[in-house]
Amino acid sequence: MPELVPSLLRQELARLAEEDARLDGRGRWEAREITLETDCLYNAEGSAKVTMGGTIVYAGVKFELRTPWPDRPTQGSLMCGAELRPVAGRKYEPGPPSPQSIELSRVVDRGIRESGCIDMESLCIVPGEKVWGVMIDIHVLSDQGNIFDACGLAAIAALRTAVVPAERFDVGEDHKLQVSSTPIMASYTRAGGRFVYDPSEEEELGGDERIHITLGDEGHLHSLQKGLKGVFTPAEFAEIFDEAQKHCVVLRKLVAKEEGN
Amino acid sequence: MSQGQTGAEQRLVTPGMAIGPSAGKRAGSGIITEQETMIATQLGWLQEKNNTMSVHPIHSAYMPRSGDLIVANVAEVRNNLWFMDINGAFQGLLPMSLAPWKVEFGAARQHMDVGNVVLARVQEVDECHNVVLTMKGVGLRRLNQGAVENIPVQHVDRVRGDGNILLQRLRDASDCRIMVGENGRVWIDGDSNGIAWARKALKMVANKGHTTEFEAILAEMEQEKKGDA
Amino acid sequence: MGGYGDVQLLREDGSRLDGRKLDEMRPVKIEAGILPAADGSAMVTHGLNVAVAAVYGPMEAHPRKIQRQDRAVIDVRYNMAPFSTSDRIRPGFNRRSREISKVTAEALESVVLVERYPRSKIRVEIEILAAEAGTRCAGITAAAVALADAGIPMRDLIVGVASGKIEDTVVLDLDKAEDNYGQADLPVGILPNTGEIAFLQMDGDLSPDEYNLAMEYNFKAAKEIHEVMVDALQRRYQGGDV
Repeated sequence: MPELVPSLLRQELARLAEEDARLDGRGRWEAREITLETDCLYNAEGSAKVTMGGTIVYAGVKFELRTPWPDRPTQGSLMCGAELRPVAGRKYEPGPPSPQSIELSRVVDRGIRESGCIDMESLCIVPGEKVWGVMIDIHVLSDQGNIFDACGLAAIAALRTAVVPAERFDVGEDHKLQVSSTPIMASYTRAGGRFVYDPSEEEELGGDERIHITLGDEGHLHSLQKGLKGVFTPAEFAEIFDEAQKHCVVLRKLVAKEEGN
Repeated sequence: MSQGQTGAEQRLVTPGMAIGPSAGKRAGSGIITEQETMIATQLGWLQEKNNTMSVHPIHSAYMPRSGDLIVANVAEVRNNLWFMDINGAFQGLLPMSLAPWKVEFGAARQHMDVGNVVLARVQEVDECHNVVLTMKGVGLRRLNQGAVENIPVQHVDRVRGDGNILLQRLRDASDCRIMVGENGRVWIDGDSNGIAWARKALKMVANKGHTTEFEAILAEMEQEKKGDA
Repeated sequence: MGGYGDVQLLREDGSRLDGRKLDEMRPVKIEAGILPAADGSAMVTHGLNVAVAAVYGPMEAHPRKIQRQDRAVIDVRYNMAPFSTSDRIRPGFNRRSREISKVTAEALESVVLVERYPRSKIRVEIEILAAEAGTRCAGITAAAVALADAGIPMRDLIVGVASGKIEDTVVLDLDKAEDNYGQADLPVGILPNTGEIAFLQMDGDLSPDEYNLAMEYNFKAAKEIHEVMVDALQRRYQGGDV
């Protein structure tokens, strides 16, 4: 069922935008409190829990042995899936994966894959016979806004702390998964006519289109996605692109700090 | 503050907990009697008033009762009626005959469309949870400006305070018009600073209204607001 | 020696591989109100199992054909996260999770005062984040705490517990190895205050005497877990945030 958008909410978001203010008192480019915890799921080979305000997301990494594709005999594979199950909020309904959860999965997947942070060749055990398949599953437990960034952060943190369970599969010694960089996603939603960072649930409900930017260590773009109804100008994009550079650095540091622990 | 005012001796009960023998006492809300024993059915504070035991729940959904003043959102428009989201399990229905205007059949949408916010009263609720709303009455109207803040339904009484004393303080300090709907939606109208202050104050009342430091925090917030103005 | 294959589950001195006594359960930790988006929620850590439950409602029952004119229906989804087990699980419903969801819903309907909410639905989402034998029981316990946290009226809580048999010996609360190589498992949902049973499954081989002993263990454990449930619910509010 589509959610009802109260007219007063849209009016208020517009008024706040004129005053350069936000519903919860944050600045336009300010994030809510973020926490990151890794190695928190017993049966996953890499795991992370992210909270952004009232949004809670878990990611778990699993490995499987598989036969490589015939045309790429020395390459392993990576798969990233996000589940938006009805646990996450009143608005989520049971049933097969919604277009929204497929979009979420694919946007997170592209950011990680296209950054090249995982060398598929490094996942080869016996060329043409045995390679590792890496699977990241992301589970949203509570949606109070900006699940995209939470999912992106949980996924890369889980990967960067994952241990390849070679002993259990009888193919050598357990070792850390090689992840050469830290792609990070930053998302912006139009609320009251202008873009804001880390949208809250109300800003998403009363807002318009959203833009997701995934940047690599050097600040290069690895994935972009525009979702929901609305249009934006090149100048608007230039502004959030600049902000994304700063926001991604902050989150990348958070991952590095957690890895250090 | 009448609600949630908790002495240390007050008992926080959980579902299934035996409260005591039922002899000579009446079971109020949140209590059932089984084999001459009173049993709590909800998580909350045990209360005894006029020989009636009840549980003041810690969390509760909005259950409409006739006469409730509520803030509702138009969810669906038909030729001769509106369906309203009232923050309850079921939508409320506002028939054309109970709207504040004379409405021609088929012209309902010209008066109120999906997403409009209104101040309404619950006219009646039947046993099957059918809820009929009315907008005939003093002050009942479409809300064209202002903001809506959501508070937990069980804290509605706390926000008002005994004889609306606390609510009046919030109105005075924020210099806003504030209407508290029984369904946990509070309508606030005034200037931007006032609305922002009222939002913050409402959150504080809901979270801290029962604590000893509440009065001091509110007084400080009131001073700050005065200083700004 | 009972059991399958050569796996030894009891030590020479009669204790279990993880050092527990026969009638000792794994440690249980419960936190209520952990999911801000839900009307009520709980996380139960039972040994290495982690179960999260969220409750939404009561809300209008959709689609109409599931509505009951005289009471609420409880819509339970028990789901194991893909990363919850040592081999990844494909996302989506399977026959096992459907069956567990069904009997769990019926158990919860036995304690919730469903007649208070005609035509309504109460959604209970059980998500298993880590599975090491005993997830359905941890899920029932989590669901009961989440329902209470949501303010849903119930005549009692339900505690999920299990006993079983390994090497011809009845033990409380099987862990992963004991579950895999044991001879019987008896998971139940016990109403801690009335002493009634709302959930019952069993598989394997138990004599009448073994059944009685396993049930005795279950009731003893239910009492202990119930104290943790009550503590979790009270802890959430006693401190201040009422």
